[in-house]
This record gives sequence, structure tokens and C-alpha cells, in this order.
Amino acid sequence: MISQTTVVRNLPQHNLLDELKIFINETRNKQDSKNHVELTKTALLLLRKLPACRSAVFEYFCKVFDVAANHYIETIETEINTGRLPSPPESDELTISDIHLALNALILENSMSWAPTISSWSLELLGEISTKYSGRAHISTIFLDLNETLQLWMACRATRTLVDINTKCLSSLIHSNTEACISALLDTSVNHSPNFDWVVAHVGSCFPNTVITRVLSVGLKDFSQNRSYDQVQSSPKLKSVVGILGHLAGSHSKDIRQAIIEQFLWSLKDTFNDSELNRLQKKASVPYILQLAYLSPTLLSSISNETKNILSVEIIGKLCHHIEDWIKYFGTPEALENHVISLILKCQSGGIEILNLILNCAQITKLKGCNDSLKTDIREKATEMLENFLQELEDSVRCGKPVEILSSYAKNVRDINEMLLDSNKIISSTASRLILYLGHLNPAALVRSITYLLEYAKTSEQLSLVVKILTNELVDKSMYSDKGGHFSVVLEQILSRYIQKYSQSNEETHDLSQMWSNLLTLLEWEKSGKVSIMNSCIVSRALEENFINLTSVFSSEVHHSHIIAEILDKTEIPQPNTPYNSPIRFILNLTQSAVNYFFICCASEGTVTKVQGCKKACSILKRLCIFSKVAKVLALRELLERALFRSDNVLFGAKNSVVHDISEKLLLKQNKKINKCIPLTKHSTVFNGGVIGSGKRKAFVEDNLPAEVVASNTAELISILRACCSLPEEDKYSDISLDSMTLLSLLLVQFVSPDVMYNGLPWPEEEFCKVTIERDLFIRRIFTSTPLLWDLLSFVAVCRPALCYCSVLIRALTATLIHQWKSIGDQSPNLDNKNYKLLLETTIKVIDVMALGQLLPPPLCYVRDVLPSLRSFEIVDILRDCIWCYMRDHIPSPALFSCDPNGVHWRDPITARPPERYTNTLRIIMQRNIESLGHLYSQMFINIPKHDHV
Amino acid sequence: MSGSSSEVNLKQTLRKLEYPLCAQEALKKIAELLCARVTNIKSMDLSLDLMAEFIFYELDRRGNKRCPAMSSLVELQLLQILYEFLNNIPNEASRNTLFLNLFSPITVNNRLGVLSKLVSLAIGIPSRSILIAASTWMQQLGNTSPSSCKLAEALVFDYAHLTPNTDDKLKNLSEVAPEFTANFLTAIAENYFIPNKESMLPPDVLLKCISDWVTDNSKLCISAQQRQALLPPGAIAMEATTPIAGLLRWCVLAPLYQHEQQIYSKLYLALLNSIMEIPRVNPPRAINVQHLTVIIQQLLQYLQDPKNKELLASGTNAMLQLALDRFGQAIQVALSVNAVYGHLDELFNGLNHLPNNRLLNIVIKRYNDSKGGPILIV
Repeated sequence: MISQTTVVRNLPQHNLLDELKIFINETRNKQDSKNHVELTKTALLLLRKLPACRSAVFEYFCKVFDVAANHYIETIETEINTGRLPSPPESDELTISDIHLALNALILENSMSWAPTISSWSLELLGEISTKYSGRAHISTIFLDLNETLQLWMACRATRTLVDINTKCLSSLIHSNTEACISALLDTSVNHSPNFDWVVAHVGSCFPNTVITRVLSVGLKDFSQNRSYDQVQSSPKLKSVVGILGHLAGSHSKDIRQAIIEQFLWSLKDTFNDSELNRLQKKASVPYILQLAYLSPTLLSSISNETKNILSVEIIGKLCHHIEDWIKYFGTPEALENHVISLILKCQSGGIEILNLILNCAQITKLKGCNDSLKTDIREKATEMLENFLQELEDSVRCGKPVEILSSYAKNVRDINEMLLDSNKIISSTASRLILYLGHLNPAALVRSITYLLEYAKTSEQLSLVVKILTNELVDKSMYSDKGGHFSVVLEQILSRYIQKYSQSNEETHDLSQMWSNLLTLLEWEKSGKVSIMNSCIVSRALEENFINLTSVFSSEVHHSHIIAEILDKTEIPQPNTPYNSPIRFILNLTQSAVNYFFICCASEGTVTKVQGCKKACSILKRLCIFSKVAKVLALRELLERALFRSDNVLFGAKNSVVHDISEKLLLKQNKKINKCIPLTKHSTVFNGGVIGSGKRKAFVEDNLPAEVVASNTAELISILRACCSLPEEDKYSDISLDSMTLLSLLLVQFVSPDVMYNGLPWPEEEFCKVTIERDLFIRRIFTSTPLLWDLLSFVAVCRPALCYCSVLIRALTATLIHQWKSIGDQSPNLDNKNYKLLLETTIKVIDVMALGQLLPPPLCYVRDVLPSLRSFEIVDILRDCIWCYMRDHIPSPALFSCDPNGVHWRDPITARPPERYTNTLRIIMQRNIESLGHLYSQMFINIPKHDHV
Repeated sequence: MSGSSSEVNLKQTLRKLEYPLCAQEALKKIAELLCARVTNIKSMDLSLDLMAEFIFYELDRRGNKRCPAMSSLVELQLLQILYEFLNNIPNEASRNTLFLNLFSPITVNNRLGVLSKLVSLAIGIPSRSILIAASTWMQQLGNTSPSSCKLAEALVFDYAHLTPNTDDKLKNLSEVAPEFTANFLTAIAENYFIPNKESMLPPDVLLKCISDWVTDNSKLCISAQQRQALLPPGAIAMEATTPIAGLLRWCVLAPLYQHEQQIYSKLYLALLNSIMEIPRVNPPRAINVQHLTVIIQQLLQYLQDPKNKELLASGTNAMLQLALDRFGQAIQVALSVNAVYGHLDELFNGLNHLPNNRLLNIVIKRYNDSKGGPILIV
């Protein structure tokens, strides 16, 4: 620039006319003049000094640039042909850079005046050059895309300079007079399209907003003139528009989207005051946008994102009236529909919005400005389109070439899942098909959706979708086959998530009750055998695969234990003789949790659930115990331990002795203190009447459960024990396995007797009781605090000869009773005395149990009726002389019993009658009290039933 | 008959020449035809034909319109030919005659582009001869006529917009050709301060130049009236309108539209000086009452515009008073040198409708007093 001004300054004033003459003479020569450099200097001088010459000067510059471009093209062509790159003439570079500098200076100094002139000149020139060389040096818009053209021309000094100058003009005018510049740009573009597109694209990227809007509207103007489909197809303008917008879409997709939407909205506006041309353009807008989207994926994606904002059912209703006008651009209505569907299939985003729109149209009921027949048309068309659309999707999935829109759905699986639950059948079935297609591509997605469905399905229709989807042929059955199928994976995920959550927070954050009930329903359907598509047992198989998790949930679960129990029960697992091999871990888990469930049921208040729950627990445990011996041992042990010693024992009437007052010092510690001074025998420490100073030890506060509850709980416990001990197949007379009963009986001893010594069956001399008195008292106390033991003993007693193994317990009880009766001194029957009454009742209970277990033959078994009328020392005598001695001499062992052909063990009361020396004491005492015991005496000693042969 | 055959011959000869060259020959011929002692309708017609076909390249040999207009480079050649030819005609009357015929009122609309460029060249190079011819042309067509205004606009664009700093080209204009400058100014004055026009205000470069011109040469405004243009025999010379009323309009309205006052004050002072310098002639011919009433109308129009009412209320009142002061003062000065012609009552009637202004009141009162007594103007 500085050089320019100096050149100008140096020239004297009067030479202007000469300069003008020189310029004219030089340019008049037809052949290219050799001294372009000098001439350019003259031209620039004239430009500055004589503004009237400007158009001529610019015309001359055109030549200069054209020559330079020509040289450039020739060089490239030479390079292509020979492989060598000749250097371009230096003079070109020099003149062009001179012009560039000078024009830049002009624009900088006085943009308002120069920019429009220079801008339109540069554009026109660019257009001419682009067109002139369009077929040369492989610069062809037909074969090259716009980006390549752009690159090629931007490598040329001349054109690059022009573009740069033009950009400078535009940017200097961007706030005042852009419109003029842009229209010049587009006018040129119209004249020289498509060769000029690269310039528009380049300028467009500098001024995206203006250019995009204008390019769109120019394209529309052209498009609206088309009369037929063929014309649309062959229109170069449309391709140009797509090319330019496509080029800009990379960096200005937002602007383009905005512009397209604005155009669309514009086309929706009322057309009362429009000119004919405008009306035509408005009608053509939608087909135009559709075509654009079809030709350019980038445009499509930028529009599809906005579907939600621009299209609604109302707008569709409006658009309906124009469809007739659109068809000519596509040929036939079918072609239009296919076009739209293929566009939808290509959308990478916004798929869910589009689908919703179609669905809404398919169910349209109310729409402003539409009569009924139109609404019906819309509905039918939408349904048809939906079907076609889904069919296309399915085909693409089957071919293994999924269309783009599926990726959009894959991103919105959540929404589709919600659609699955829609009450409307069209929506839910559409969603289920989509899930199928997605699942075909991505099994994990299918699993997620089924999970969702399983968790939230509320109606059987919704739930049936699970089955429908899972049994569809599109689902790859070989997938997950090692895990037991899709449904198994679904369960696995739910359960493992559940376990994780539960173990973290220990409370339910996610309500799964629906899931459990759904699972149960599914299982019921499958077991009912009425649903033919479920014959493959997907649900059972899945449950089997997940038993370990299921049982661990079952054991920790509080809210849904009933329903889980029902599911477990329904599965009828484990079954002997089935191919499914239950792992031992599962068996143990299930056993444990079933026991747990049983106690939960016992503790629950509602009677119906309680009874049903206990029944379920029974049936589960029964199956388990039959299936596995380990399970049986575990079940019995658990049941007993919990019922007797855990906090659950309250349910069965136990007086809870573990509750300690905090202020109360542990007896153990106190005893240790005492131990230091007074050496006592090991067991004597248990006795402690209280702490000196704080009075006598307080009696325990009893947790009083209503007697009937205790009774029903006890009954349930007995029945579950019975279930655990049952035989695999039912016997004619008994369903109880003797081995199990023996086991139970031994367990009782193990639990109740604190000592491993002297636990054998034989009863020692009565004197020997002094040695075991402490242990005996301990046992007695357990019996007192845990009344359930009596019921257990009775239960054991019924199943002869299992009671024999409890011999030690009965012996201990008897021993303590004798001791107690002895210690209360001589007392006549006094039922008002609480202790006396208790003592008497206990005595009767012991004798009852022994009688029930046929340990005592008649008449000893009738002693219970005699005792209430006797004095205490008489009772002692009877207990010691009759009962103890008899038991001492007749060891209670299974050997006493004989087994009849039906497998029932019993002692014949007639043959087993004790010798007289065991009954004499009784008889004498009864005789002594004959006035009150006469009727019993005759029954016991006189009318003795005898075998006929005796 | 022989005349027509010579015409044909002439055209044939000219047609043998290439285009821009034939223009030169045609010009010679036209000059001969027009400046002959006796001119008749026939030769006039012939000269018009020659211009259209051989100079301005408007028609082809069959009289049809030529479709692609000439290129800019060819046009430049034509301009050079016209310039040199006109510049070299020694006789001013012949030159003016040729110029007036080349750009006659009938054809000027098509040839305005060439005309503007020609005059622009004449300013840039410069050429007093051509500028005087142009001045005569403006005067004959009316220097406030649309063609003149367009010419002025094109020149302003060239020298004030495109090349504002081209050293002294404009500044020297008043020295090179004061008559032209005066007519040019009258036309320029018409182009600005027109409400609702896109570029309402004159560009600063132009404004500065004008104020310099008027300040430096207080006789400039009336220089077009001072020198009688040389016209072809039989032509009626048209009276040139002075730029005084037009420029006064700028100075009066400027306070209302523009806040930069310095340059307008300078111009205003120069204008007052120029009015003072107007030689007393009877009847007066420098300022037309009609042109002054235009100012009143424009002021009233401004005041009635609702959007300006708020502006006036909020402090621009001082500006309004300044405008009215300038107006009153100028009228008084003009009256005092007896430079105003036309129906003075009409002017003062109009002044009564303007808002109250002390100076203006005095001027009006004085006029009314003088009307009552004998017409005595000091």
C-alpha cells in the first residue's frame, strides 16, 4: 500500500491525461500486453485519481485475473499430463498482489463507498472464471464435490485474492449493507451455478446467517417453478443449494436448522395477502425441505432433531390441505409416502418424536378445522404408514443392515419402554416391535426392556408382551443359552441389583412388588399349560438359573416374602427324578430361608396369609427334606433351635428369659467374684437368689401372647415338623418317617440337655439322681420357660418309639418332680396353692407323655387320674416306687416295641403289663383312698383286658 | 436527394471505421453540421443519427437498438475522444452548441452515464473548457432540473465518496470554473436535506469544500449569473438559479437535523457575506421568493411531524430558535441588499405561521411597517 501511494505521489498532475491515454492505448491492443505490471500501476493510479475510469479499470483487472487463472489451470493441466509442475509466471503474482493491496487499501479507507462496487465486481468475475474453467483440469462440479472445487480454487492466487477481497467487502459492510452484497452474491450464483457454488459456500462460512437464509430462499424459488418429478430430479439448483448448505452444515448446523425451520413456519402462515409467487413458494416449501433432507444427510439430521418443535398434530392437520399440491414434485402419492418413510428411516435422531407424531395421528379424534372424513383419512394414512415403516425396519433388521433411525431409538429406549406400558394397544404393540428390532441388534437392550416391563407391567396385557417378545422368532434363542435364556438374564439382573441395593441401604428404594407378582403370574401361566407359546418353559428355566439369588433374596426379604414363597412353591423344585440338578448351596439356602419364612409367617398377624404362608413353607420344606437329607437335618435343627431358643420362642409361649435389666449385673460376673473367696462346685454357681442389697431377683415379665395364637403357632410348628419328617411317598398308615422322628428326638435331647454325660436311655438308681440333680433342674427349667417342649415331646411320643431317645429328658423331669414333691412336706391336695397346682400339672404332663409314648404300660399309664386325689408323700411314693423303678428296670428303648406288618411300632398293653412289685405301692395307696378312687381302681386293677388265649 | 445520398455515403464511410475511431470522425462531422452558418432540420436530424449510431453506440445501421452495451474499456476510449475533441474546440459557442446537442434534453437520460464520466474527467484532469460547456448545459436544462441533480450526484459520488482525499481536485474547481461551480452548487443543494431520503445529510468532505468555496470567494454564488453563456445563434439563454437559497435552506435546517454546527456556522457566515456582495440590480435576480418559501414549508413540516414534537419539547427548542434566528437574519440581509425577487407578501405570510422568534418578529414588523409607508429599502 505504501508503495502504491508513493507511486501515485511521484506522478505530476498534468500527466493524468497522458496516463489515461497510455492506459487506453495499451488496453486497446487485442493481444495480451507484455507489461501488465506497469499497466496495472497506471490503472491503479487512474482508479485513485479519476474515479470516472473505475469501471474500465475493473474491466481491465478482470482480464488480468482471467489470465492469471488461465495460467493456473494450464499449470495444473500440465502437471496432470506430464507430472511436472511448471512455475506460474511471476508477473501474475506481482500484478495480482498489487491490485490486492490497492483494493484492500481502498476498502479500508472508504468501505461505505467502495465495498459495494468492488464486491459486485469481484463476485461477477469469480462467477465468470468459475464457469469458464469449469470443465478444465478436472474442475467439474459434476464429478467433484464442492469441497474439492473449493480447495482447487483456493489454491489459485487469483481466485483466492478475489474471494479475500470480497470477504473484506462483506465484513466491512456486515452491519450496514449486507443485504446488497449478499444479493449480488446470489445473483451471480444464479447466473453461474453450479460452478460458482464454492464461492457461496466459502462466503457463507464467513457470514453464515445471511447466506443460509438467502440460499434457502433462492433454492425454494427455483424449486417452486418445477412442474414435475423429473424436473425436480434434474434440477441443478437444488443440488447447488444442497452442496452449499452441506458445506456449511459442518460448522453452522444450528443456523441452517433455524433457517429451515423459519422457512417452514413461514410456509404455514396464512396466504391471504400473498402474491401468486409467494403462494406457490409456500406450497412448495414442504416438498422442498423434504427433497433437501433427502439429498443431504446432514440437513436431515439437523431437521430431525427439531421434529418435536416444528411438527404437531395440528400442523399436520393444516398440511393435509396442501398434499395435493405436493404430489407433482414426487410423481405419485405413493412416491411421496415412500419418500417420507425413507427419510424417517434415515433419521439418526428424533426418532421417538416422529414415532409419537405418527401414533398421535393414528389416534386422532379432535382436530380444529378438519371434518370427520379428513380425520379418518389421517388416521388410516398414519396407520398404514406406521405399518409400512415398521415393516421396513423389520426388513432392514432381518437383512442385518439396520437403518439409521434404529440408533435414534437405541438412545431413547427409556421412552420406548414407557410406551410398552401404554394402555393403548397400538402404542404398546408398536413399542414391542421396536424393542424386538433393537433387541435383535443388541440383546442387552432387549433384556433391559423386558426388565422394565416385568417391573412395571400392571395388567395382563402388558405382561403378555413379555411372553410375546421373548417367544418372537426375531429373538436370537442361542443368545444367553448358557445362562438359561433372555428371561433368565432379566431375572439375574433384577435380583443382583436388588441384592446389591438391599445390602447397601437395607431398605427398599425401588418397589419390586409388581415385579414379584408379575413373575408369579408368568409362572402360573406357564404351569397352567394353557399358553402354548410358553411350552418352552422360559420362566421355569429362568427361575432355575436364578435360584441361588432368588433364595438369598428370599432369606433377606421382608416385604415380599409371601409372594416369593409362592413363586418358590409353584416352581415345585427340587423334585427328585428331574434332570435339573439342584446345587447343594441352593438347597441349603432355600431350606434356611424357608425356615425363616415360616417364622415370619408365624409372627405375622393376618390369619389367612399366616395359614397360607405356613402351608407354603410346609410344602417347600417337605419337598426339600424328601429331596435331601442334609436339608432335613438343617431344617429340623433350625426349626427347633429358633422355636426354642431364639427370640422367636415367644411365639410359642416361651417366657423370654434373655431379657436382662441393664442395671442387673450379669450373674456370671458376680459368681466369678464370689469364686475368688468361696470355692464352690462347678454347677452350684447357677443358684443365686439375688444380690444382697437389691432384694430378691425379680420375676420375669412375661410377654403374653394370647393363648390361641400360641396354640395355633404351635400347631403350625408341629405340622411343619411333620412335613419335614414326612416320607417320600405316603404310607397307608403313616406318612412320617421313623428315622426323621428319631433324628428330631435326638435333636431335642441335644438342645435341651446341657450335658453330654448320662444322656443315655437307661434310668439309674434313684439315688444317683443326686449326681445329676443340677442338670435335671436345668432341663426342668427349660421345660417351664418353654412350654413348647411339652408339645414337641407329645409329638415325638405319638411316633413311637422315638420318645425312647428323649428318655433323659423324661428322667430329669421325673427326678426333679420327686425331689419337689418330697420337699413340700406332707400336704393334702390343695389346688388353691399355685405352686402345688403347677407341680401337679407338670407331674400329670410327664406321665401323659410317657403314657402317650407307651413307655408306661397300664395300669401305670392311668396314674395321672389318680394323683390329684393323693397327698404329696403318696405321690412321691408312687413316682419313686412305681414309675421310677419300672423305668429303671425296663430301659425305654425301641427294643420294647414290636413292629407290625404295617410298619407301626407299638407295645401290646396286655402283654406288657408290669409285674406286681411295680404296682403294689400304687394299689395300696389307692386302696387307702378307695372312697375317692374306687372307679379307677376297678379299671386299673380289676377289669383288666386280657388276650383271649391267656 | 443528393443530400440523402451524401448522408448515406457519410454513414458508409464511417461504418468502415472501427467503433471508437469512427466516433472521432463522426464528431468532426457533427460539429461541422451544427456550427454551420445555416442549419436546417435535415442536418440536425443527421447529426442526431450520427450521435446515436457512431458516438453513443446506441443504434445499429438499421436503427435497431444495440443489445450488448459497449464495454467499460470501449466507453473509456469514447470518453477520451469526446474529452479531447471538446477540449480542443477553440470556439466556446461551438463547443457549447456541440455539448448541448450531444446531451440534449431528449437524449440525456440515456447518456447521463457518459455525461457524468465526461464531466468527472473534466474535473479530474481538469479542463475548464468542458466544465464551462457543462455549466452552460446545466443552466440551459435548469440547474435544479433532475438531470442536473443526477449529474451533481454522480460527481459528488466520484469525488466526495470514492476519492475524498484526492488532493484539491474539488477545492480547485471554484478557481478553474466558478460558473460551473455555482451551477453545481445549486444542483447539490437540491440533493440534500430532503426529509425521509436515505442520505439526507451532505457528506462532511463535500460540506467542508462548499464552505471553503463560498468563504474564499463571496462572488462565487452569483458567478453563473455574472457571466453570460455563449450559445448557438437563436438560442434563448436561461437564467441561472443561484445556490444561495438552497444553501441557506441547509443552514436553517441543520440545527434541527444535525448537531455538528461549526461547519454550518461557517457556511452560514460565508452565505451572509455572499448576499452582502450581491450587486444591486433592478429588478433583483439573485434570490427567488419561491425558493425561500420552500424553507418555511419544510420547517412547518418538521414541526408537525409527531415524532419531532417530543424532541422539541426536550431541549431542542434552542436549536429551533437558532434555526429561526438564521432564517430571519438572512431574510433581513437579503432584503437589505434588495436581492429578493417575487411576491414578498407571500413570504411574510408564511413567516407568520412559524413559531415565535424575537428576531423574526422584528423582521416581520419592520416589513409590515415599511409596507404601510413608502417602499423604502435601506
